[in-house]
Amino acid sequence: MTTELFFVQLINGIQYGLLLFLIASGLTLVFGVMGILNLAHGSMYMVGAYLVWYFATVTGSFTVSAVLSAIIALTLGILIERVLIQRLYNRNHLDQVLLTIGMIFVFNSLQSILFGNDPYGVAVPGALDGGIPFTDNSSYPIYRIFAALICVAIAGVLYYVVSRTRLGMLIRAGESNREMVEALGVNIKSLYTIVFAIGVMLAAVSGIIAAPMRSIVPGMGESVLITCFVVVVIGGMGSIKGAFVGALLVGLVSTFSSVLMPSMSNMIIYIFMILVLLVKPQGLFAK
Amino acid sequence: MIFEKRTERILVPMFFMVALFVPLFLESNSFFVGKVTTILILSIFVMSLDFLVGRVGLITLGHALFYGLGGYLFVILSPEYEAVNFWVYTFYICGISALIALVTGAVVLRTTGIYFIMITLAISQMMFYYFFDSLDFGGNDGVFIFMKPETSIFGLSFLNLDDPQHFYYLALFSLFNTLVFFKVVLRSRFGRIVEATKQNPDRTEALGYNIFAFRLTCYVIGSTLGAYAGFLFALQYGFVNPSFLAWEMSGTALVMSILGGLGTIYGAILGTFTYEGLQYFFEHLTEEWLLFMGSAIILMVILLRKGIAGYLEKLLEK
Repeated sequence: MTTELFFVQLINGIQYGLLLFLIASGLTLVFGVMGILNLAHGSMYMVGAYLVWYFATVTGSFTVSAVLSAIIALTLGILIERVLIQRLYNRNHLDQVLLTIGMIFVFNSLQSILFGNDPYGVAVPGALDGGIPFTDNSSYPIYRIFAALICVAIAGVLYYVVSRTRLGMLIRAGESNREMVEALGVNIKSLYTIVFAIGVMLAAVSGIIAAPMRSIVPGMGESVLITCFVVVVIGGMGSIKGAFVGALLVGLVSTFSSVLMPSMSNMIIYIFMILVLLVKPQGLFAK
Repeated sequence: MIFEKRTERILVPMFFMVALFVPLFLESNSFFVGKVTTILILSIFVMSLDFLVGRVGLITLGHALFYGLGGYLFVILSPEYEAVNFWVYTFYICGISALIALVTGAVVLRTTGIYFIMITLAISQMMFYYFFDSLDFGGNDGVFIFMKPETSIFGLSFLNLDDPQHFYYLALFSLFNTLVFFKVVLRSRFGRIVEATKQNPDRTEALGYNIFAFRLTCYVIGSTLGAYAGFLFALQYGFVNPSFLAWEMSGTALVMSILGGLGTIYGAILGTFTYEGLQYFFEHLTEEWLLFMGSAIILMVILLRKGIAGYLEKLLEK
């Protein structure tokens, strides 16, 4: 492997890892605070990608479509929590698995009814089109750098909100003792609604950011969901810091393995996860 | 009596009586016989999962690994253009699957709760991609099974696997044995201890039982029967491909067992038939059957908290 290829793959890996973090952060936040295992989280990623594609073809502006899609996703999150998820708080993980599998079916079907089953692509917004020259004859796409920076920015905001604001304090309190928070007069119901909606929006925003880099196809939600599981399990379920480290590790491992051992590249992250769990059965940043 | 509840004493004999006689009035290669055979085989798979999830408390999202192994092991072990003996190969496949379950079980059972769900998922995904990417086993397309095994025992042959009706009875017979086997195991001393490990692991351990060994034994039993179901399914359709061990397969089986009534064992049959029946109905009603299927699942989680078996028990007990 030449130095040049190594650096390109390194940036690719970090960029992929940051995107994975953005998706996984919503999953791990919802699990950590609410104890809900949301298998339909990948569907929200799909929803974001399809919405931004739809609005981009209608309005022609990526920025406008991105904002519109994010708002719709947030509303959708509130709606899903109020109508369905709220009934699951006193149930076990199995009922959650079942209900969210049902949701995957519904979203996949809606996708095929509303948008059809053809693969789509979203054009890279004009200002970010093009590449940064890397060496004499290669360049790195600007949009990928931009996407990575957006992911870092959102991660920063998320960190700030969780560790520095009143909402974040309530979220952390809800994580460690639900009854106590309730007894202190906090409306835990609306707190949960907010957290779930944020989780859905994080997944949808990842879909929006990923849309110009990847093709928008049926089933895109499921494949990303399983990868996210690997990320949050490696990091430790419920830990946002863990999701960050896990996402970067998975991003780097899968990017480098697809260059070094292409025939094994799909298997590698699962082997990696099993190895991590053998050493640390609760993940790297277990509480 | 191995059937403890009144509901199962009514439902189980009724089901097997109907299942025993209905095909006699149908043409052997009718669509109905083939479809019901598939559902019977799936019921075995779902039942083995129900045992693990509902009775042992091992929530696995990677059970399809063994379903796929049942098919792939047959392809790997048997010569391509020669009919092998069904019983001998059943023994081989179950034996090797049990060994694989013993090894993987020893690894996955180190974790508990949500991590157990995830690591079982990871192992089955790993094998999914192994078969998906491998050129030896046809990759995504899978492998065809050209020769169905012959079924003679000591030179006597009364079962012809090429005849759909015979295959139907093989599946029904296997399902019945699986049901009785699980019921006997659960009624035994061993089964009582397993029950205890689920209800209160700490106390059971304090009583001097090795929880790990009991769970591992159950994991091997459940996985082996899952592999047997996969083997039958591969034989019925004459092929095996990676979708056998996709996570959707594990997920659907989990939906079926919860739908039927988790931990009831006989509920696996109810769940599988209801799920497949609903899917068949919606598929013929509309192209977008998935929408109705998904909505039906969501409604059932909210309304039927203990599955169909739980609902029936509420009606029939007392």
